[in-house]
Amino acid sequence: MERFGEGFLEERKLVKRWSGPVPALISIVSLFAVFYATWWIFQDPRGYMRMYTPYVGYMYCRWWLIMMIWMVYIFNYWPFKRSWLESAHPLYKGIALTAVSVGILLLLVKGFFEGFLGNYGLAYFNPEQLEKLPGITSFFAIEYASLAILMFAAIASWLSPAWVVAFEEAPWEKMKQPAKGFSILMLTFFLSTLIYFVTMHPHMGILYHPWQYFTSIAPPYWEEFADTVSGNFHVGWIMCCTVVVWLVETIWERYPFNLIKHDWTRRFAAFFGIIAIALAMHFFFYFAQELTFGEAIRGTRRGFAPDWRWLHVGEMAIFLLVPALFLNFYFGNWPRKFSMPVNVTIRTLITIVGAVLLYIVYYRTSHLFLGTQKGISHPQQFPMIPMIWLVNLMLVQHWFMDNWPGWKLVPKTAEEIAADHVTHQAQIDEIKPTPRFGLGLGAGTIMGVVFFFVTVWALPFFYQSIDLIK
Amino acid sequence: MSDNIKRRDFLKGATTGVGLGMLGAMGVYSYSPLRKKYFPETVRKMTDIGVCKSVKVTNVSETSWFENSVLMGDIKGAGGLLVNQYDYNWPPFGNGQGLGKGSYQDGMDKIKHLLPDKVDEAWDICVKNCVHPENAGGFAALVEVEEMSGKKRKFLLDTGWSYAWTHECFKREGIDKMLLNREIEALFISHEHFDHFWGLPVTLKYDPTITLYIPEGFYSEGLQYIKDCGHTGKVVTVPIGLNPHIPGMATFVFDIPIICRVYGEQSMYFNVVDKGLVSVTGCCHQGIIQFAETAYKEIKYENDNFHGIYGGLHISPFDDWDPKYDDLVISLRNYDFDRIGCNHCTGVLCAKKFITAGYPVIEGTAQHRSKDKAYLGNGDIITFG
Repeated sequence: MERFGEGFLEERKLVKRWSGPVPALISIVSLFAVFYATWWIFQDPRGYMRMYTPYVGYMYCRWWLIMMIWMVYIFNYWPFKRSWLESAHPLYKGIALTAVSVGILLLLVKGFFEGFLGNYGLAYFNPEQLEKLPGITSFFAIEYASLAILMFAAIASWLSPAWVVAFEEAPWEKMKQPAKGFSILMLTFFLSTLIYFVTMHPHMGILYHPWQYFTSIAPPYWEEFADTVSGNFHVGWIMCCTVVVWLVETIWERYPFNLIKHDWTRRFAAFFGIIAIALAMHFFFYFAQELTFGEAIRGTRRGFAPDWRWLHVGEMAIFLLVPALFLNFYFGNWPRKFSMPVNVTIRTLITIVGAVLLYIVYYRTSHLFLGTQKGISHPQQFPMIPMIWLVNLMLVQHWFMDNWPGWKLVPKTAEEIAADHVTHQAQIDEIKPTPRFGLGLGAGTIMGVVFFFVTVWALPFFYQSIDLIK
Repeated sequence: MSDNIKRRDFLKGATTGVGLGMLGAMGVYSYSPLRKKYFPETVRKMTDIGVCKSVKVTNVSETSWFENSVLMGDIKGAGGLLVNQYDYNWPPFGNGQGLGKGSYQDGMDKIKHLLPDKVDEAWDICVKNCVHPENAGGFAALVEVEEMSGKKRKFLLDTGWSYAWTHECFKREGIDKMLLNREIEALFISHEHFDHFWGLPVTLKYDPTITLYIPEGFYSEGLQYIKDCGHTGKVVTVPIGLNPHIPGMATFVFDIPIICRVYGEQSMYFNVVDKGLVSVTGCCHQGIIQFAETAYKEIKYENDNFHGIYGGLHISPFDDWDPKYDDLVISLRNYDFDRIGCNHCTGVLCAKKFITAGYPVIEGTAQHRSKDKAYLGNGDIITFG
């Protein structure tokens, strides 16, 4: 029976072509070269296609990410055969798989959202339908439709991988492709639709004048709690969910949820745990902005507006994703020599430091080379676009091209695969609920709370000591 | 169990606990009412900018472009709202190469020798080389401040876009003669945007020596344009923050990024005796509520009252909409303005929502190509005090 790419990522061995840091440096340099070239071609406001309008470029960027998640995580590279994945030249493989992902992307956006949903269900998914409204310009018709499709993507980019990472593909984990892939796709797409309707549809409903009281809840139910009627409140926590899924999957190795022995308990704990962690981030990042930028003022615009603050929560989260994936893809998820919780803690600290540095460097320099405007709260500018564009290219390089050119793929032997499983299980098994562990857990929890308040105290001083916008 | 194993177990528990404790505190505390104790008390600086007797604003032009669909078509075709404004190939910086392929230098090379005296001739060249010159309008307002002594002082806020339209409006309101007679003391540029700044040669045609107040944040093209237009007077770059000007009048520069690659905006505050604070803005990209909040924190004003607003409030300049604009419509009530004269980039839809919400919007006459009475239109006058 053909396995397609099932277990491919775990069962491939990426061998450095050269010793030392050279492979990582070469891969990163080539990654950034491709990033800049493609940014110029597709996104840059000075470039060729200028898709950074912003929502058109943002929407495609976001859905392309999901296409790759579908292909790799949900469909396990089906219909590409395992032998081809293991033997094709990475460059050829990268081009072929990328072309397929873009093909599906166009089919989904143009065919499903704009063509089907936009013409037969919700007019705001189709720019041509929106243009029938008196007074609306073609530009904003396209932007609004892109925004709606984009918002759907934000939810799908959380739920699609979450079903694999948290629910471990259950209850279809033993099913063969493509039946497994379609089953997960249908369920996650269905859940995305439900969440879209209760989070983003009310946002779209009040884009119209008068508010669409009869087709969406207006004003939205979150108004009092979030201090805004904007759906950006949901964009914030959903973006955090997306980021947390990948933190759990990469640098956290699914810890601590993997300590739970009972399958369904572990799966539910992971799924809802991810949401809980994301909400904690959501609220903390909002608080962090209050501590640094100042208290939000409802009704104003840009940096002080609650709607922008919630959006910026998601933007802050995405800055965490980039260093986490870098650590995982190019530095072998360093460190690995300690116990799992210690490894996870060190990686998390590295990721946080990396994210803070990236945030500062981005806001201080990005306008010098991305064709964007300097400043933090430009209303038509989203750091999520270049960040996700970079992540997309990292995924192409890591998932489709085996980290070429710095690394090459060598299939692991059955013994190596078995040894990996044993080592991984041993790391989990060595964490036992001993009295010392419990004592440490209690002491650590207190320390965590103390760290939180120290961070809260230090943030305003830290912010005052840096100049984000020169 | 050895000490080493015990220590390792403790460490595993402790590292796990740190994560749990941190995340738990983040989740429970961060959005709770308790967090507010970390917010600093609002300290009102109460800077005394003096008082004036009255402020009269004549709307020279609020119509920055005539057809929204044409402007947005250009923006769409050129690559969106982040494209550098000097690259659109809009007048006067046209090189005949089409949308999104213009440059400052190409445009200026064709007309520099005609500026500022022969603006009509320069405009004829622009019409041949630029994209949609017929759509260009511009924003400009005459601000007359009556001091407590009764002395009246005149200032120009912004100078339009199209040379032809700006010239027409200046003649209609007599601005040309006031400039010739040196009655207008200074030109305040609110920001570098095309529709507020690019009509500069029309002002300079009549008074090339006029003092210019520009906000910090101008790009090199904008600074060069001032020189290339033949300006011979003083240029004052107004720093970010509050800048008192004459008794009862100050400007405030906000360090904000703006679409089409522009940075920074300067708006005006007036303290009108017995009435309160009056805000006059070009586009108010910072947001009218931010503008009011800044006044609350920075300035001492009569009766602690927000009396009036005039100008573009930059809510839905392209007749677009976003739920965050509804936040503004809902929240503006808290500021209790006595008189609101809005136009330009406020958005007609927004002005109508203000009226529906019961705000004291001063309606206009919809004359001289202003489109709706919800706006204080071209040629209309509003007086505060």
